[in-house]
Amino acid sequence: MDIAVFLQTCLNATYASSYLALVAVGLVLIFGVMRVVNFAHGELYMAGAYCLFWVFYQNELPFFAGVAVAVLVVAAVGLFLERTMFRPMKDNPLGGLICSIGALLVLQAGAVSLFGVRKKSFAGPYNEAVTLFGVDALTISGQRLVVIAFAVILLGALWAFLRKSRFGWALRAVAQDPEAAALQGISISRISMLAMVLGAALAGAAGALTATIVPTGPYMGHPVIIGAFIVIIVGGLGSLEGAIIASVLYAFTHTFVTTLFDGTIADITGLVLMLIVLVVRPHGLLGKPERA
Amino acid sequence: MTFGSVDRRRFIGTSALAGAAAATTVHPGRLRAEETVRIGFLAPLTGGVAAWGLPGLYGCEIWAEQKNAAGGVEIGGTSYNVEIVSYDNEYLPDKARTGAQKLISEDGVSFIEMLGGDTMPAVTPIANRAEMLVSTLLPSDLSPDTPFLVAPAEVHPIYNLTGVWWMAENMPEAKTAVICAQDDALGRPSVATYLAAFEAHGIEVKDTIFFDISTTDFAPVMTAMLAHKPDILCLDTAYAEFVNELCKQAFVQNYGGQIISCTADFYADIIANTSEEFMEGVIFQFPDFDDPALNSEDINFNDPNGFFEVYNERHPGQWGAVSWEYASILDLWLDGAQKAGSIEPAAVLGGMKQGGKGAHAFGEANWWGEELFGIDNALVGNWPVVQIQNGKAVIVEFKSIPEWWGEHSATMIKHFEAMGEMWYQRA
Repeated sequence: MDIAVFLQTCLNATYASSYLALVAVGLVLIFGVMRVVNFAHGELYMAGAYCLFWVFYQNELPFFAGVAVAVLVVAAVGLFLERTMFRPMKDNPLGGLICSIGALLVLQAGAVSLFGVRKKSFAGPYNEAVTLFGVDALTISGQRLVVIAFAVILLGALWAFLRKSRFGWALRAVAQDPEAAALQGISISRISMLAMVLGAALAGAAGALTATIVPTGPYMGHPVIIGAFIVIIVGGLGSLEGAIIASVLYAFTHTFVTTLFDGTIADITGLVLMLIVLVVRPHGLLGKPERA
Repeated sequence: MTFGSVDRRRFIGTSALAGAAAATTVHPGRLRAEETVRIGFLAPLTGGVAAWGLPGLYGCEIWAEQKNAAGGVEIGGTSYNVEIVSYDNEYLPDKARTGAQKLISEDGVSFIEMLGGDTMPAVTPIANRAEMLVSTLLPSDLSPDTPFLVAPAEVHPIYNLTGVWWMAENMPEAKTAVICAQDDALGRPSVATYLAAFEAHGIEVKDTIFFDISTTDFAPVMTAMLAHKPDILCLDTAYAEFVNELCKQAFVQNYGGQIISCTADFYADIIANTSEEFMEGVIFQFPDFDDPALNSEDINFNDPNGFFEVYNERHPGQWGAVSWEYASILDLWLDGAQKAGSIEPAAVLGGMKQGGKGAHAFGEANWWGEELFGIDNALVGNWPVVQIQNGKAVIVEFKSIPEWWGEHSATMIKHFEAMGEMWYQRA
């Protein structure tokens, strides 16, 4: 691999890390607080992409208006799921998971009926190639740079929110020990709602930001959710920092293997990476072992 | 009792007469045709492969509508209305099997049109048992075990050689190529074809890169391809949205060479996502049917320009590689049925293959395939090479597949064997 290909591959991997981290962190938030494996998370990402398609492409409104609408709409969908499905099922270990599979199918069918089966491929407003630092090998579309920048901003804001705000403290407390948090007067229901809204909003943002880069279709959530599951298992279930580190690790591994060999081997490598972590460190890179 | 100022009896009588007149005017065929023949359409209408199913159903519906409006089709002295019965197999084998069962035993179809590929093995035993005539767009589905399966519209992926052949003649400076393909029943035989065609015309293939069908980010794939600095990027038989994304990535990563692809469906979208200059000269294999070259006397497809116009009026922006293909198969089915004087599947198959020749959409063609597929059930003749010129698909030449085969068959068989795609290598 010559230096030009190496640099280009690093750029490709940085982009892949960015959107994957947005999706995976949302998934971790929901799992950490609600203990629900949300299989519909990929479809929340898909819903965000379609929101952008509708606002930006069909109605010709500004791109960032589309992103804002996607965040709000998908957050509302998340809120709806939490109130109507996950909360009533909170005492049933499998209930939430089964409901999320139902939500997945409903969201896919909804997308088909609203937008048809044909995938939408449309250009974003920043589609031009940008050469970084005057190095030809470091060429990337402006749209991908937007995704990277937003991922950094959104994840930074989330970190600050979790570390500096009262809601953030409460959210982390519920994730660590719901019973102790409840004894301290923290409303588990409100915090669950907050986690679901935040997680869904992040997925919606990721979908909207990448909608002009990948084909937007009813089933686009599948590969994303598989990657996100691998990432949260490698990072450690419930660990936000772990999810971000694992996103980078997974995306760089997958991208480099794709470039050096092919995409099929890259998929296998991603799964092997997960297996190795599960064998060597069953609770993930930054996860904590379950208490007996 | 009067109905306002109109007598009720007169009103009813006048209405009945008007109704009968309207029925005669709007649906003359329905009144004249004596019976109905049902044709099954079993292809992906939803899901990732719908672009190679649904636009074809639209074409068949237009075909049937036109035939019925003209009084139906005459077969063996009986006039039939044509009814298309569709079933969405979502490109899933289980759904395809269920669909085939339903079409044969419940709907009583006389013929089934399919895309084929991954869904065909599930349907073959049912079709064989019922002796049901089935068509596929993918001759790689053919084998001696599929006596009732025909590939009368396209000889995918064999016709891809015509693009390479034309390119070698007209762009002799292009000497190296890199191929990328999705790793599935469509991608792999197509890779074998391109490898053979490039070898036959002295173009060195630097690498072949397979990617998983679930791939969404094509930047790494394109980086890997461009690392070889090829003169030609070959996109194989990638699905429509993959071609679009690969072109977007080639554009962003500053590729300036030649692109060749089996399809370039919805190429206006690709141009919108890249630029007209970037897409200028891209070679593929599927023409728009408003192309003047299709008005030649050799062309058997009935009024291609008119068909294209009606299609685009009804389904704007949906014209793609398969829009005309399933309809052209109906032409061949009808020809076979008329020759046989029957709609019975086995008799129609005999009629279709009468004399070893058939009226393919792009001209007279031969039933062929023994060497590659173990059975002569693929209709092969000329195929167009299409190039994007000033933002529009233009047929640059028709090339003869049998002529190429006569010179290079051993090379093709070698690559099919290496890829495990010969009929005797497939499970």
